[in-house]
Amino acid sequence: MKNSARSKKKYISNLDSGEVKKLTEEPFEWWGPSPEKAREVMVGKSKALVDKRTALKDAVKKHIRDGVNIAIGGFVNTRVPISVIHEIIRHGAKDLTLSFQSTSICAELLAGAMILFPDHVSIKRVEMAWWGYEVIGIAPLLRHLASKGMIRLDDYTNYGMSARFKAAAMGLEFIPVRDHGGSDMERVNRGKMVKSPFTGKNTYLVPACYPDVGLIHVTAADMYGNCRVFGPLCTCPEIAAASTHCIVTAEKIISNENIRTYANLTEIPYTMVDAITEQPFGAYPGASYGYYWFDMEHIQMFRSISEDFRISGNIEKLKKYYDEYIFGCETFDDFLAKIPDKTLKKIKRMDGSQPIILS
Amino acid sequence: MTEYSPFEMIAYTGSRVLEDNKIVFVGTGLPIIAAMHAQLTHAPGLGLIFEAGALSPILDIGMPLSVGDTRACHKACYLKGLCAVFELTQRGHADYAFIGGAQIDMYGNVNSTFQGGSYGKAKIRFTGSGGAGAMAANCENTIVIMVLEKRRFVEKLDFLTSIGYGDGSPDFREKAGVLGRGPYRVITDSALFGFDEKTRRMMLLEIAPGKTPEQIQEKAAFELLISPQVKEMREPTEEDLKLLREKCDPDGYFLGRKLK
Repeated sequence: MKNSARSKKKYISNLDSGEVKKLTEEPFEWWGPSPEKAREVMVGKSKALVDKRTALKDAVKKHIRDGVNIAIGGFVNTRVPISVIHEIIRHGAKDLTLSFQSTSICAELLAGAMILFPDHVSIKRVEMAWWGYEVIGIAPLLRHLASKGMIRLDDYTNYGMSARFKAAAMGLEFIPVRDHGGSDMERVNRGKMVKSPFTGKNTYLVPACYPDVGLIHVTAADMYGNCRVFGPLCTCPEIAAASTHCIVTAEKIISNENIRTYANLTEIPYTMVDAITEQPFGAYPGASYGYYWFDMEHIQMFRSISEDFRISGNIEKLKKYYDEYIFGCETFDDFLAKIPDKTLKKIKRMDGSQPIILS
Repeated sequence: MTEYSPFEMIAYTGSRVLEDNKIVFVGTGLPIIAAMHAQLTHAPGLGLIFEAGALSPILDIGMPLSVGDTRACHKACYLKGLCAVFELTQRGHADYAFIGGAQIDMYGNVNSTFQGGSYGKAKIRFTGSGGAGAMAANCENTIVIMVLEKRRFVEKLDFLTSIGYGDGSPDFREKAGVLGRGPYRVITDSALFGFDEKTRRMMLLEIAPGKTPEQIQEKAAFELLISPQVKEMREPTEEDLKLLREKCDPDGYFLGRKLK
């Protein structure tokens, strides 16, 4: 497909124009369900207020298949759906598309699983804005996979990815945004520069992102899947609304009566949720506002093992992490049992959040 | 003479360029420290935006180590998500953006996506845009923090992630569909740069005491414009260093680092 407009008179970076041409000529396709398909699935679902509490293992078995587009909720280390990621790695899924704005250990864990067990877990492509560890450093496993050309990356800004989920939440095909234009993302990603039909001005459009399965960790939810989120919302409400199916873990299950007392506090309504699991510390070693801060040491430990692999090519230590913390556990609680009590106490103390409302 | 580290000079200079009663969109690290220092000194009315969703938090329970952590939203006035705060920038609520990256060119365009190889098979893949590309597009003024090295101040970027003045043409940003005015300052430990209004090229405004413009030019692969009134960079006082070390980054996460 050709752009009907473009921002630049001349290109100014070293980006290879042959590679850009190949990407530009690729016909557009949805990297997940089309808007029509996503709507059809939603129309076909029962909207009953039923108990959706599910063991994570069953939720993953039901919704995660080869080739699906998985959206990762949270933001970098905040409210990340680690417990579901562990379960997906145990379950196995190939040719995945990942979609997120910014993430750290969730994507690295999947990348590590792909490196160690390519016949069990693999990532085909990633639509994203940012993949790293913030103050802790760059993501070694992303760097490894990218340097070997093993995954297709599609780059947007954090707003771009958020707006793409928002567009899907609105049932749209695309949404205009005020960024990407003039950058090389305009040249390589699947957005398009067009002329505004109203003023003729250049306007950048990004395609909506409709994931097959959204993975969200929330502060609290009732058994029907009505969710409260305290702390930053990140892009969780938009991701839940954009996804065809949504697996939610919550620090705490609260009553529906409480939800109905403060309906304004519901950020994700039950119709968007397919499975809900009470999973305390479900974002560990990430943070969950109102409960615990992130465990910098555990994240650093996994990152340094990953960096060690990237530099040496030796998989032993990395494999040991997966054997010990993922495959050596039947459930996420088994994993948590391996974390020293004093660590969990420390990150609870470090949370320092303001009051959250569970009543 | 008080000793200070390169990162302390960057944080202090970052603080100096922020005006009171404005909003600055920050990321983790030196930008937060610069903004905290500004709030504690000349800009008590400065508000902060963190991209996970917080507007104007009060950073008095410790320096945030992650833009989404509890500290980054402590006592915020408004706490939503990414869409909400980035839409504030599109609507003109954010006066400054603080961004970083691996490479910058003479028009203030920044790369934080990859270096070497190709886009599909990058020799060194970085994190990607994150918020930077959106901040550089729609916050009114972009401030870039960068270490002054020839491999970073390059003739040509490997990838243009965050828009500056593009190719320098006067309508580049308008044609790109972005709304912010563009690059405002580039802060390094030994020089402060601005941009020439006519050519939109990077211009040396201030240099660290004891340095010459020639020494600064040696560290950039492109030709720098030199302001006719180059000033000496102000150094942090004992009091500033105390604030930086004891209030802003007491654990030395960023200020304690060594330049590679």
